Amino acid sequence: MIKLLKIEAKKILTYKIFWILIGLYFIFLSAGISMAEFMINNMVDSTNRHLPIPIPHVAIYFFPWVWQNIAFFASIRYVLIFPAMVIIILITNEFTFKTIRQNVINGMSKAEFLASKLQLILLISLAITFLLSIGTLILGLSNTSDISFGLVLEKSSFIFGFFVTILSFQIFALFFGFLLRNTGLSIALFTLYVFIVEPILYYFLKSPIVFKNDISTYLPVNSILRITEYPAIPVLKQVMGLNLQDSVSFLACCIPLFYSALMVGIVYWVLLKRDL
Amino acid sequence: METILSVNNISKRYGKIQAVNDLSLEVKKGQVFGILGPNGSGKTTTLSTILELIRANKGDFQWFGEEPSKESRKRIGSVIESPNFFPYLSPAINLKIVADIKDHDYGDIDRVLILTGLYERRNSRFKTFSFGMKQRLAVASALLGNPDVLILDEPTNGLDPQGIAHIRELILSIASQGTTIILASHLLDEVQKICSHVAVLDKGKKLFDGKVSEVLAISDSFELASHDLEGLKKVVAQHPAFQSITPSSDQILVYFKDEVKAEELNQFFFLKGIILSHLSERKRSLEQHFLELLDDNK
Repeated sequence: MIKLLKIEAKKILTYKIFWILIGLYFIFLSAGISMAEFMINNMVDSTNRHLPIPIPHVAIYFFPWVWQNIAFFASIRYVLIFPAMVIIILITNEFTFKTIRQNVINGMSKAEFLASKLQLILLISLAITFLLSIGTLILGLSNTSDISFGLVLEKSSFIFGFFVTILSFQIFALFFGFLLRNTGLSIALFTLYVFIVEPILYYFLKSPIVFKNDISTYLPVNSILRITEYPAIPVLKQVMGLNLQDSVSFLACCIPLFYSALMVGIVYWVLLKRDL
Repeated sequence: METILSVNNISKRYGKIQAVNDLSLEVKKGQVFGILGPNGSGKTTTLSTILELIRANKGDFQWFGEEPSKESRKRIGSVIESPNFFPYLSPAINLKIVADIKDHDYGDIDRVLILTGLYERRNSRFKTFSFGMKQRLAVASALLGNPDVLILDEPTNGLDPQGIAHIRELILSIASQGTTIILASHLLDEVQKICSHVAVLDKGKKLFDGKVSEVLAISDSFELASHDLEGLKKVVAQHPAFQSITPSSDQILVYFKDEVKAEELNQFFFLKGIILSHLSERKRSLEQHFLELLDDNK
């Protein structure tokens, strides 16, 4: 395991595009998180103009709800797309530069090659989750007045949910990269699927006219994003009548993990079958 | 002698094109084995198959008497087609990746960079290299860690004359240390200068194989003419080294099995009562010879 990660480290440490995209990811992520409260209250203000009894302003950065809120804002498509693109570029580069051929010639098995990319995804997911946890802790600690240990950890299952989200979203990107092998094509089709094809499918499947039971939760990207379905804003519950989730459900994590396992299986099978 | 590689009846088809057709080869330890053939004769497909980049439709092969595996590939250094490295990494880091995969330490990297003349450029990015330098880095990567077998696919392709001479010298000096070398080339002259054994491929089929000195032995030919052309044809067939004859309207082209000298030939005909009006020795170029070998098998 260490050996394969050592090789991956050499491939990315001095790769500018990798660091630019990761940097952009953190800029968008922190901008999104720090703007969230302001933007929600803006919405509240404009709604209040039409209401006889105004809705109070919301606060979202305090324990224990800050875990869920940060997990929600970090699980937005527009933010998740950055690490996914990093993965697509790193994988399709190997085909463009034909370095996957050279790795195999030099004595790497195809299984090891796939494992090295999966380990990289695991490492990136752990690193992002870790940094996000630190950020959430700082944000929570500075915005919560009455802090206790139990309160801080109460909703921390959401950060585990976020880990599953970022892990399976990158594996979805890996799937596109390995099957299409071409950088431009993979990014185009991946973006098209995530932002256009699946949202259309989602509304189609959600409609009770089409299916009696809502099966839209089983769409791959939707299942990933639904792990943290809503931010924890009590006013949403009152105004819109939404059922807010209490914690990350085990079942909600199972669906994307099942997809991930399936996709890794398909990639491995194709890799063995196809000539390099 | 220990068998390094045995290839048994492999075939590979790409759609309608039969790239390799029922090919068998045997490479023994210490041989410099040339795979010679024109472009598209299946050389690279054969090498890609034995390096497990592509799967043959039929047949199998063994490395070092064992089923092929990643462990056997770690004992082989290869240059296949274009040099494949990360363009944004320096040669030193690119070679470290190779060393990691092969389970070597980094101690040998400087040696192969010096050997291929790239040491001064070890920290520039690969994409700033000229094609010749890229090709030399590919050779350096193949040499890393002193592999038991070296596989070289057109190693001098795209190099300038100096580069070609340098790489050939390098190959010969590695071969002299007992490393087995498998070299694919469409240059007959290259195979003849470097290899001890050769297999000639055309359209995916092996035409013949054996020692270079035997397969590529060159019989000289002579252009002969006489006023008595019919008599000349009869007499020439009686020559002990006679091989074949290609007649034309006013002269004949005669091939001999062994080396024949012009003055001996002149004397031979004179004693048989034939006066030659034309006697000219024709040295066939190696390329011409190679084309004739291919032609014979059509």
